[in-house]
Amino acid sequence: MADSILSLKNLSVGYDEPLITNINVEVFPGEIIAILGPSGIGKTTLIRTISGLVRPLSGSFELKVEKRGGLGYIPQRLGLVRHATVAHNVSLGARTRIEFSLNMWKERSERTMDALRMLGIAEKSNEPVRRLSGGQQRRVATARTLAQKPQLMLADEFLGELDHSNVEIVFKAVQTLVENGTAVIMVEHHEDNAQLFATRIWNIKDDTLEDFSLEQWNNRSHGGEEE
Amino acid sequence: MKYRLFAIIFILLFLAWNTLNGLIEGDWGRLEGGFENLSVFFSESMWPPNWSVLEARSYPVCESDIEFFCSVGYIGMMETIKIAFVATILGFIGALFFSSLAARNLVPLYVAIPVRILLSATRSLPSLIWAILFVIVIGFGPLSGVLAMTFYTVGYLGKLQYETFEGMANDSLEASRAMGLSRSSILLNVVIPENSNHLLSQLMFMFEYNVRHGTVIGIVGAGGIGYYISTYLKFLQYEKVFALLILIFVVVVIIDLLSMMVRSFVNDEGDVRRPTWLNFILSPKDE
Repeated sequence: MADSILSLKNLSVGYDEPLITNINVEVFPGEIIAILGPSGIGKTTLIRTISGLVRPLSGSFELKVEKRGGLGYIPQRLGLVRHATVAHNVSLGARTRIEFSLNMWKERSERTMDALRMLGIAEKSNEPVRRLSGGQQRRVATARTLAQKPQLMLADEFLGELDHSNVEIVFKAVQTLVENGTAVIMVEHHEDNAQLFATRIWNIKDDTLEDFSLEQWNNRSHGGEEE
Repeated sequence: MKYRLFAIIFILLFLAWNTLNGLIEGDWGRLEGGFENLSVFFSESMWPPNWSVLEARSYPVCESDIEFFCSVGYIGMMETIKIAFVATILGFIGALFFSSLAARNLVPLYVAIPVRILLSATRSLPSLIWAILFVIVIGFGPLSGVLAMTFYTVGYLGKLQYETFEGMANDSLEASRAMGLSRSSILLNVVIPENSNHLLSQLMFMFEYNVRHGTVIGIVGAGGIGYYISTYLKFLQYEKVFALLILIFVVVVIIDLLSMMVRSFVNDEGDVRRPTWLNFILSPKDE
């Protein structure tokens, strides 16, 4: 098995009070992990900690990705530049490297256009993001990560509010990243989505993270139903 | 709620009145005859305005076909507008640099605080004092005016800009930081585009402000129409001063309308649109 790209060791996350404690898990390339659990239990805090935006309360985590562009992050409010165009937003993902040559600039343009086409928003490329619908904005945020090609993608409820067709478009794009070795950690509210796309489930219960393979999770769910 | 508001206004007015009374040591007699003095001064010294300020000067000889272009009013006003234009552009760029180092959501506190102190210091000297300093350092003329107003613009716009940056939604900053964008890239590709509407509005306001203040700094020899005002004041030619003041008023109103027009191309949401004639008079919000 390949080396892990993220390992959490005795990690406790939270702001003043710990929300999730003593997390010990590893993440490997190509995995899709869905974090499930009730609202306010610390799912967002966990991925904000991994993304470096919140300091861990105790313990540590090791992120073995490139410093620039190795981590893709889609926050709950998507993190788009609302007054800029769709193309500008998507190209941000490909701007993580310093461009020294015309070839690098061309490559950025190509990556941007490829991502726009894949998410079906190429015809909207010159429109300001704020004019798009919520579903289209989610596609822009996903295209940004696609253009970035990160080693680890963190997404906070980015499938929420999407209709079935949009979920499929977005997830097809995520799948291309995964096929190239990107690991995905996403906070999910809908267990159905998690079961459709994830390979692993992190279930947050009380202040503990329970790590399941999809098979274990499905068996547990069925077991629960039978009880 | 309404009574509370009246009570607050009453208390504030009472405090202001009391403070003023303290300042003038209760000598309200000074106001007696004030209006009479003003009307005598206005009717005997300032009225009618002497419009010869819009005619060609006797020296140097006018080479233009249109006399107005060789007049004191036109030459002085154009110099003031040019000084304000250059100072606003230079000041705006300088302010962007400093404000990006002063916004607490963009840089650590140990960088933001010294830069804020620097901006406060620059702002605490009015452009008139900057003009006096530069006239002492580099002599009379428009360059002193440009430098004076550039410094003041950096201090003033810098504050407006960093407060705008601090008010922006945090999610786009967090996403770009997590993605590993450099600080300069975040500023150029996230912060400035997201706040472009406000920045444009502030830029236009500052230009208008600099034109108004450009007339004042000329009085201390930093170029522009203020130089001529100061000269006419020295020679007690108040009717010429009055004509120049009317000219300044007209130019400021025109710039104000132009500023509204430019801003009306961009609506609250930042969409570019075609302004209507009404936008020349009313700001978009008032429609």
